[in-house]
Amino acid sequence: MRREITIAALIFLNFGLQSTLFGMHNIHSIKPNLLLILTMSFGVMRGRKEGMLVGFFCGFLVDVYFCPVIGAYMLLYMFIGYLNGYLHKNFMIEDVMLPLILILIDDFVFNGVIYVLFFFLQNRLAFQGYFVRIILPEMLCTVLLTIVLYKIYVVINRYLKYKKEGKELR
Amino acid sequence: MKIDRRKDISPKYILLALTIICVGLLIVSYFAGDRIMGVKRYTMKFITPIQKGINEFGLWADSKIKNLEKIEELQKENEKLKEELAECKLDLNMYQNQLTELASLQELYELDELYPDFDKTAAHVFAKDTSSWFTVFYIDKGKDDGIFEGANVLCGEGLAGIVTECYGDYSKVRAIIDDTSYVSGRILPSNSLCTVEGNLSQYEDGYLLVKNIDIDASVTVGDRVVTSTISDRYHPGLDIGFVSEIRNDSNKLTMTAYITPTVDFTNVTEVLVITNQKKSIN
Repeated sequence: MRREITIAALIFLNFGLQSTLFGMHNIHSIKPNLLLILTMSFGVMRGRKEGMLVGFFCGFLVDVYFCPVIGAYMLLYMFIGYLNGYLHKNFMIEDVMLPLILILIDDFVFNGVIYVLFFFLQNRLAFQGYFVRIILPEMLCTVLLTIVLYKIYVVINRYLKYKKEGKELR
Repeated sequence: MKIDRRKDISPKYILLALTIICVGLLIVSYFAGDRIMGVKRYTMKFITPIQKGINEFGLWADSKIKNLEKIEELQKENEKLKEELAECKLDLNMYQNQLTELASLQELYELDELYPDFDKTAAHVFAKDTSSWFTVFYIDKGKDDGIFEGANVLCGEGLAGIVTECYGDYSKVRAIIDDTSYVSGRILPSNSLCTVEGNLSQYEDGYLLVKNIDIDASVTVGDRVVTSTISDRYHPGLDIGFVSEIRNDSNKLTMTAYITPTVDFTNVTEVLVITNQKKSIN
């Protein structure tokens, strides 16, 4: 139960921050994708099921607020969380390189899908321009934030595990 | 750990179930968007206070930082006073410029008379789109303050966007620079009609795209673009921007212009919402 509440709080907090903090008063700015970092982290640390569920609820919030239909971002976040969960089995939690590379790929896939669905299909074909100006900057700032946030999530995860499994673990 | 997970249902099946839920929601919300409004409203009830809280804290911190800056400013003020004399001389020059401007403004004033003063209500922006692709934001006023779906949103002098969804005390606004935004416009001295299109890749250069200008229209750089009288959603005569560049289209029938928006979209904290409804024939 403690785990569920903590994760719910993390999702709310991340969504709140992502929709308000970045870019200050600039209503159109490049923002790091905090929700994707959260989804990726829990996918990698806890496996497919948890990655998938975290992605599901992150996507739900984004859909409710910023998407004309409910379900699109949900699917996207959910599948990213699920696929990242596959790496859980052969992965050391203290390893930092894997999450960094993974978030690069995730963010590229995430933005690539948005580009294809909302831009490419509406005859905005100049992928190069969009890549250099939007996807790449977003990938970079997401990766930078991952370095910090992933460490925090690892600590939170370890704390939750410690509480649940008793003191013999560590 | 692995043994623990074996007891549960395999993630594959959960994924399948959730995917079905998502697709179901997609279909329902696409074909019957109103039915899903309740879900939206209840979710937003939880999140909106968080966003408003964070935003208020941000504004508070912002004002504190500005206060700190003011101390430095005071120290510099002494130096500034010395410079003021020079500035006064510049001012004199400016007044002369303004005299010439007055003549052209008087012409514009005649146009101003065409539309009466709208009732406006001020609102704060408290949340913005989470992705880097779209320009949708939330303001902290809604139906309770007389805002309705389709209300025009102004920022400073110009048109900033349109309300697309409206709830009790907050509403969702789509900015005119969003990629899905189309505004029917009019280019001023020549009165030729056009469509102002939000375009993400153009906005990165600081422009909005204006399409479908008649090839015979005499449009020059610096012309004002305002919302047109024939638009069914926008009040006429709201400022959109100024023409910066004009190109002929390859079809030899129309021109495309690049305009600089009047609104500074990098600094939007407070907006004005027009609460008059545009008259329509029903």
